[in-house]
Amino acid sequence: MESDPTLRRVRPTRVPGLWTAAAGLALASCGLLDSPATTLTPRSDFGWTSHRIFVQILRWDTAIFLVVQVLLLVAVFRFRERDPKAVPAQVRGNALLELVWTLIPAVILIFIAFPTVAAIFRTQTAPPKDAIRVKVVGHQWWWEFQYPDLGVVTASDLHIPAGRPVSLEIASTDVIHSFWVPQLGGKRDAIPGSMTRIVLTADAPGEYYGQCAEFCGASHANMRHLAVVDTPEAFAAWVAKQREPALTPPDGSPAAAGREVYRTGTCVGCHTVRGVSAGGIGPDLTHFGSRKTIAGGILPNTPENLARWVRHAPALKPGSLMPDQKLDEPEVTALVAYLQSLR
Amino acid sequence: MADGHAASIALAAHAAPAAEARGLVSWLTTVDHKRIGLLYGTSALAFFLIAGFEALLIRLQLARPGGQLLGAQRYNELFTMHGTSMVFLALMPLSAAFFNYLIPLMIGARDVAFPRLNAFSYWVFLLGGLFLNASWLVGTPPDAGWFGYAPLTSKPFSVGPHSDFWLLGLLFLGTSSILGSLNFLVTILNLRAPGMTFLRLPLFVWTTLVTNVLILLAFPPITVALIFLMFDRFFGTPFYLPAGGGSPLLWQHLFWIFGHPEVYILILPAMGIVSEVLPAFARKPLFGYPSMVYATALIGFLGFGVWAHHMFAVGMGPIADSAFALTSMLIAIPTGIKIFNWLSTIWGGSLRFRTPFCFAVAFVAMFTIGGLSGIMHASPPVDLQQTDSYFVVAHFHYVLFGGTILALFAGIYYWFPKVTGRLLDDRLGLLHFWLMLIGFNLTFFPMHFLGLMGMPRRIYTYAPGLGWDFWNLVCTVGAVVQGFSLLVFLANVARSLRRGTPAGTDPWDGRTLEWALPSPPPAYNFAVLPTVLRRDALWLTKHPDARGPGLADLRALVTPAGPIHMPAPSSWPLLTALAMIVLIAGALLHLGVVIVGGLLTALALLAFATELVPARANHGGHADGDHEDPHVGATGLDHRKLGIWVFIGSECLFFGTLISTYVVYRGRSLQGPYPHDILNVPLITVSTFVLLMSSLTMVLGVAAIQARDVRAARRWLLATAALGGVFLAGQVYEFNHFVHEGLGLTTNLFAATFYVMVGFHGAHVTVGVIWLSALWYLLTRGRLGARDEALVDMAGLYWHFVDVVWIAIFTLVYLIQ
Repeated sequence: MESDPTLRRVRPTRVPGLWTAAAGLALASCGLLDSPATTLTPRSDFGWTSHRIFVQILRWDTAIFLVVQVLLLVAVFRFRERDPKAVPAQVRGNALLELVWTLIPAVILIFIAFPTVAAIFRTQTAPPKDAIRVKVVGHQWWWEFQYPDLGVVTASDLHIPAGRPVSLEIASTDVIHSFWVPQLGGKRDAIPGSMTRIVLTADAPGEYYGQCAEFCGASHANMRHLAVVDTPEAFAAWVAKQREPALTPPDGSPAAAGREVYRTGTCVGCHTVRGVSAGGIGPDLTHFGSRKTIAGGILPNTPENLARWVRHAPALKPGSLMPDQKLDEPEVTALVAYLQSLR
Repeated sequence: MADGHAASIALAAHAAPAAEARGLVSWLTTVDHKRIGLLYGTSALAFFLIAGFEALLIRLQLARPGGQLLGAQRYNELFTMHGTSMVFLALMPLSAAFFNYLIPLMIGARDVAFPRLNAFSYWVFLLGGLFLNASWLVGTPPDAGWFGYAPLTSKPFSVGPHSDFWLLGLLFLGTSSILGSLNFLVTILNLRAPGMTFLRLPLFVWTTLVTNVLILLAFPPITVALIFLMFDRFFGTPFYLPAGGGSPLLWQHLFWIFGHPEVYILILPAMGIVSEVLPAFARKPLFGYPSMVYATALIGFLGFGVWAHHMFAVGMGPIADSAFALTSMLIAIPTGIKIFNWLSTIWGGSLRFRTPFCFAVAFVAMFTIGGLSGIMHASPPVDLQQTDSYFVVAHFHYVLFGGTILALFAGIYYWFPKVTGRLLDDRLGLLHFWLMLIGFNLTFFPMHFLGLMGMPRRIYTYAPGLGWDFWNLVCTVGAVVQGFSLLVFLANVARSLRRGTPAGTDPWDGRTLEWALPSPPPAYNFAVLPTVLRRDALWLTKHPDARGPGLADLRALVTPAGPIHMPAPSSWPLLTALAMIVLIAGALLHLGVVIVGGLLTALALLAFATELVPARANHGGHADGDHEDPHVGATGLDHRKLGIWVFIGSECLFFGTLISTYVVYRGRSLQGPYPHDILNVPLITVSTFVLLMSSLTMVLGVAAIQARDVRAARRWLLATAALGGVFLAGQVYEFNHFVHEGLGLTTNLFAATFYVMVGFHGAHVTVGVIWLSALWYLLTRGRLGARDEALVDMAGLYWHFVDVVWIAIFTLVYLIQ
């Protein structure tokens, strides 16, 4: 029942259409639906679960808000002092009224509690057997993605297929981070010594913005990533490509010169390029050229950005563990060419 | 103590009070609750302005994407200090200012139960706040957020003294809060005027009572959490480090077990203020007073059961998630009750829109919004989107600013005339109000949108193209407007202090007892303590109804009838606080400074504790003709004994946290020696027996002093202290032996939890031995005598408690391995 994404999108919600339209209009006019990181247009089953309950609570909240604020405004206007000497009736209470306004909130909360508990259990069941496992590892200040069953290790860009369950197993090697792609649903903390899990099925292909959501030190603001939802075919192709060893650039090309810079420099101490180096501290760069974002998701993968990063990473990411490489310009250009060639 | 022996103020026939001492020294040594309240209030406002400026800088940085005003490190320091300062240096002390000034007045008392302790709490707060802000001066302010999650605050990731300032500052400030709570609890329980039963107390007194119960019980867990962090950072234990077997989640649980009650600590006083201001300006009683009392108590109680709703994203499992979701929703019910009660208070009233009333009405409106977003946070599936985003930033600012701060301003405008004798200007007040309300909403309402649009919190900058730019700019504009509103407030205060309209006794036609007294009240508050006959006693005296008078005799409250003893000023509160700050600062400087500070603190504490012990023991009644024992209060218990019972309450939580951590961490050591390898059960059984025998000798000592047998009492006290010393010798031997066997403090998790827990217990025994020895000495020298059984009784209660804790530790550590 939960499996077909198209069915899910056309299934009517429990909310009357007019209400949805009004809420949508209000939200749209505030630009809330336009943001690439909005939580209000979910693109996965996990996201929809949260969203449905959010809308429900928003309904109740709006009703309560209107009741309270209207009563307050009416009182404020209607009971303005007219005679400074007059002492109004000293009403001390009303048992029936107090009972009513104790019970009504309790009933409303029951209406909220049931779907809440149901959703908690539904979203925390064990992942289905055919789920694609991704180990999401937080580092200061970048995300690593390992696909243990598929033999793929990458960073900054997360690829998952649309329409298939994905089990994200989230952990950290240093401090607490939090993995969050707002359009795909809620977040889970990445805790050293522990593992948390999100199981989701993305609706449709697209690229979604992700950002660390637990303060993790100097460059917490610079710990982002891209979640790329591929069609099943594109995902399979991506996996196949990622499993291959690193491409060797043709001899004499700028990229070949860059490979020498890489191999003889300090890069190999931290970075892994399968077949060339085994660093293990910084991101795996084997297929670096195929990524859309770099440096922990903060920059698009262009030669200019890469050059700036390679020259002096801490300027772009305060506190970065990647030090100033002290390379001259020809070395930088060559290195950039090499890294871009690693598709 | 409530009736010291030194200063006696002879009163003239009219109500003109004797001139109060003036000058700097009189303020440094004051023990008058009203002066202390003023000190708290002005210091807290100063810290509030600093924290507000920190927020302004934050907003200026975030006004545009890629802002260049502040770098990452500076920004992280600013938001950490903003949060920490607002919670601990602004909002809590502002509430304390109101407790201090008003509680004795509202319950019909002359002062709090322990005036010198009260002053001490203030000086510790001030010095703690200065210490925390001194970190700016040395360039290393805290930078890990106001709730400092491990392991970010642990040594590998937080080098430098930033987090040391934070943890030491908070440990120090926590002392102030716990001692303050002890004072107010004993005051409210014991110092109520005749006829002031619990259900006749103004609601502000009820909210103060519940708030201080929360402080008493919530601060020990964070104290322990900070102690663990201190040990991790200074000595290398693995309490929060997975590499050593520890868990970062322990910090979160301990912090939020404090942290959630803390937010009720922050909001309940505000609710109390609003519950006084609304009835005054509606000229109607608070609607549903009994429900308001029960709702307050229920919120306090339930507040201890919701803490993990701050941890919905850490993966506690569906059962824990659901349980905390349900309790968090439950707590919305008593909160909702209050909103409707306030609405009903003003409904049908005769509303006067003076500044205090405007702030109080706005509180109801804004707090409702904060409460409604809170309901969303209570649902984990929704919270997983909203937590750690600007949505939750909006939520807590609506409840803490739109709630607490607006209510505190209502209180300031309301009680300023009572405190200073002059009214604040109402037109400037309304200008302040509107600028603040508009600025506040401009800043914080759009943050709901930003959160829903995926903006995380605590980021020093953000990328363009995410749709966040416009609303961030609006937020910043709002912050500037708020800044202006505060300038208007400060101008109002400055102007009104000098040229404000004289207020007279009762400018608002108030309902509570302080409005019967001159503005400002004399040092002794009431010339004769009131006899209260009904709730809203003063109002009913002014506007009688058919059911009888409110007070027995209104005029008596201001008509002098004889000499009144007030507690003498004392310099020990300030001096002891100064000694302690040397100790605290020493932790950042040098072991030598720590030792010097520790010695100074010990000496100061001894002087403080024995300051009121006379040169010769009292053998008869008190000289002033009071027939009743001035130390015994409305509960029938001596203040000091009640104080020890209350203190024991906090100690239960303190040791409870230490013991729970030991139990939770059992079996998680990554290497030996393990408990079964090293614990010497027979030896410690003997040691335990010795300690239990010391409880027996203590009982005999108390019985002896109650039978007026000073000689026997001295003997048994000495025996108790000696047996305590034997127990301690056993502990020292055991620790030494363990170290020789290879169990150092940092060896494993068992070592860390064992040494810290048993070590703190041993410290408590040591304090007890010193205390009993001091009592023995004073009895021997004749400075204490047969009538001082309360002092021996106090020590006995403490001693027995420490023994009970040992029984628990012995059972859980040695017997059940």
